Amino acid sequence: MNGALLTTSAVAKSFGTVVALRGVDLAVAPGEVHALLGANGAGKSTMVKILTGVLRADSGAIEIAGRPVEMRRPADARRFGLAPVFQDPAMVPDLTVADNLRLTGTDPRTIGQRLSAMDLDGLDLDEQARDIPLPFLRMLDLARAMSADPQLLLLDEITAALPPDLSERVFAVMQEWRSRNRSVLFISHRLAEVREHCDMCTVLRDGRSVASFVPREGGEAQIVSTMLGEAANAVREQARERVRAVRVEDRPILEARSVGAGRQLDDVSLSVSPGEVLGIVALEGQGQELLFDVLSGNRQPDRGDIAVDGRVVKAGHPFDVIRKGIVLVPADRINALLPQRSIRENVAAPLFNRVARWGPIRGRVERQRVAEAVDRLSIDTRAAAQVRRLSGGNQQKVTIARWLAPGLRVMLLFDPTRGIDVGTKHQVYDLVRALAEEGAAVVMFTSELREVGLVCDRAAVLHGGRVVAELPATASESTLLTAAHGLEVDEAPTPSAVGARHE
Amino acid sequence: MSDAPVAVATFDGVSTTLPTPSSAFSRFARRQGWTVGVAVLFALMLVWRMSQVPRFGNFEIATITVGTMSVAFLAMGQSIVIISGGIDLSAGAMMVFANCLSALWMQDQGYAACLGIAVAVLAITVTLAAVIGAVITVSGVPDIIVTLAASFMLAGFALFVIGGPGGGTARQFQRLVAGGLDFYWPSVLWTVGALALVWFPLRRSRFGLSLYAFGSDRKSAFLSGVSIARTRILSYALSGLFTGFAGLVITAYTGGGQPRSSIGTTATLNSVAAAVLGGVALTGGVGGLIGPVLAALCLTMIPQLMVGLGWDPSNAETARGVIIILVVLVAGLLQARRRSS
Repeated sequence: MNGALLTTSAVAKSFGTVVALRGVDLAVAPGEVHALLGANGAGKSTMVKILTGVLRADSGAIEIAGRPVEMRRPADARRFGLAPVFQDPAMVPDLTVADNLRLTGTDPRTIGQRLSAMDLDGLDLDEQARDIPLPFLRMLDLARAMSADPQLLLLDEITAALPPDLSERVFAVMQEWRSRNRSVLFISHRLAEVREHCDMCTVLRDGRSVASFVPREGGEAQIVSTMLGEAANAVREQARERVRAVRVEDRPILEARSVGAGRQLDDVSLSVSPGEVLGIVALEGQGQELLFDVLSGNRQPDRGDIAVDGRVVKAGHPFDVIRKGIVLVPADRINALLPQRSIRENVAAPLFNRVARWGPIRGRVERQRVAEAVDRLSIDTRAAAQVRRLSGGNQQKVTIARWLAPGLRVMLLFDPTRGIDVGTKHQVYDLVRALAEEGAAVVMFTSELREVGLVCDRAAVLHGGRVVAELPATASESTLLTAAHGLEVDEAPTPSAVGARHE
Repeated sequence: MSDAPVAVATFDGVSTTLPTPSSAFSRFARRQGWTVGVAVLFALMLVWRMSQVPRFGNFEIATITVGTMSVAFLAMGQSIVIISGGIDLSAGAMMVFANCLSALWMQDQGYAACLGIAVAVLAITVTLAAVIGAVITVSGVPDIIVTLAASFMLAGFALFVIGGPGGGTARQFQRLVAGGLDFYWPSVLWTVGALALVWFPLRRSRFGLSLYAFGSDRKSAFLSGVSIARTRILSYALSGLFTGFAGLVITAYTGGGQPRSSIGTTATLNSVAAAVLGGVALTGGVGGLIGPVLAALCLTMIPQLMVGLGWDPSNAETARGVIIILVVLVAGLLQARRRSS
């Protein structure tokens, strides 16, 4: 590209065996507001971290104004005229805002003009950052980034935490930057914002940049279909067949009734019945982590109730919920396991797998149960002595195997196939289906949309802490993704759908 | 945070209200409240002590200020490390090492030579502490383990340089650093001077902010461009300066070196106690150095007050423990109330 302000070519990055970026080409012209888009796991956040010097690319080149640059730490990015506003506020909570500004070498006095331009004069810079509400921290972050007068502003999900009127002020800043022939790299899940305010967008899929185009021309539909690519629709037939075959019993085992918690989880109602697999679909940060925390008894909901068998449960501890046969397989596998111990101990450890209530554990019974579980999941036992030496896929199987025992009624799976190989993924799918056929209920958050068609009977789409749509497993991936962006979907929702709300 | 007055707009045209700034008083109470509280505690103890002795003169003041000095300096060093998110279990051993090394070198030396030796010893402790910080940074082994291991090594060094109690120093050096039992000004001036000339300028600098930033939230600090390695190493080096000086104080106070390792262990624990009692959060990022100095004074006064009451001095240790728990508990409750209100 001639005259581009920022160019990257074939940027790649792997974490161990997991490939995050395979080859990203990006060109941001001066005076351009450029959007970086992609579905969950497409590599956006890794790319942002590389551009801001938080991570270093394994290979590939980054050029700013035609000169190759190497960024080793966040301070370098600033030196090259690239100022980021990170997804998480980069303000140190125990320092005052003014001290936070001094920390990055920003003069607190100069930021005053920036703030008054954004109509935020009232913010007291001597307040501790922890006492300032999140939306204003983001605005302060933005003002700080702007005061370095960078050639390129990098805004990572800045509007996600902002109410509409503050978002408008961000768009005004983007307009100002454009008119001064400077550039903005804008990352957002809100496709309407992208269409409205961006001159160009680059879409990532599977760690590759697959297309760059003008978002205004094709609209949301083109963006969504580019994010998904061709492959998507093969699994739908399979799902259609299954939905007919499964007879869903009427009485739900587990229900969330208008559950809200913290900032992110607003109002979620859903239920799951025996023999059913409910998929949860959401973009990052829509409250799914909190939802699983609440469902698994790890956290009390601030509003609403959790009911088991129609009766409200006040869980003080995950133990209370586990006793009712509701178990969580979390995203962080190592966190859930005893990494230094053997497969056998790991499988035998959870309470409701107990072999004996009191006294010494009966070795023979325990061995037999563990052997059954290991066999059922075909766990590779070559590294049986220490779970941490197993592959990611086998670790995941152990975390699931721990809970396979009589008494299991609901299994909560949080993104169970992240970072594991295709073969193991299918074993996990088969296991989930088998559990459902045996009468258990499964709630599964997935960041891979095709898994809805592969394993689930129904999907609830979460956006902004609410269930915005309930869709059958036969819904196409583009429908799911459209709904996950908080947009209207054409496909008829299932009868039990909770009313989608407008923002 | 969640109930801050922000009207989150749902429709266009509704504007988001700015958060109301906290009042000057509540801000002061929040940031300096703990220090003021410890100061009040110290004042109460002082008044009590004055009522116990018939004539509260220079000697009584000196027993408090001179007796506190080494703990106060150790607590300052410890606080710097804790504020930046670490903990220094080698502080006491470093102090004993500085004491023994300076006593060995200063024996039979003149005043001028002693001053030179003092500077050299400080340079050595700063370097050693920086090395400890560098080992923590490079190896990634937690602070608590590296500094614990370092405390054994430093105790060994101390025994190696001076086999048993011994060494000496010049009389003028003793007067300069520790004053005397009727002459308390030097001890006050050194402590206040360290706060005013070393700590306060530093606290306002980029490095001082980095210390707090790193201890408060490592990720945010890193994203703000704080150099992790430099902050760590400098925080330990600075701590080495204060602990080294605490060692010189002991040399001046006792006129010799004492390589017994239990002195170091007790001193380390006292320094952590003074830091915590002085409002430094063990989680990092919170606190200052005035609080710990005042807390060190309180910790010194407790046994004196007990003796004044005619109690067995051994009960003083129990009282010390009870007071630490009570103060931290009450302060914690007050803070929890603030957070929820």
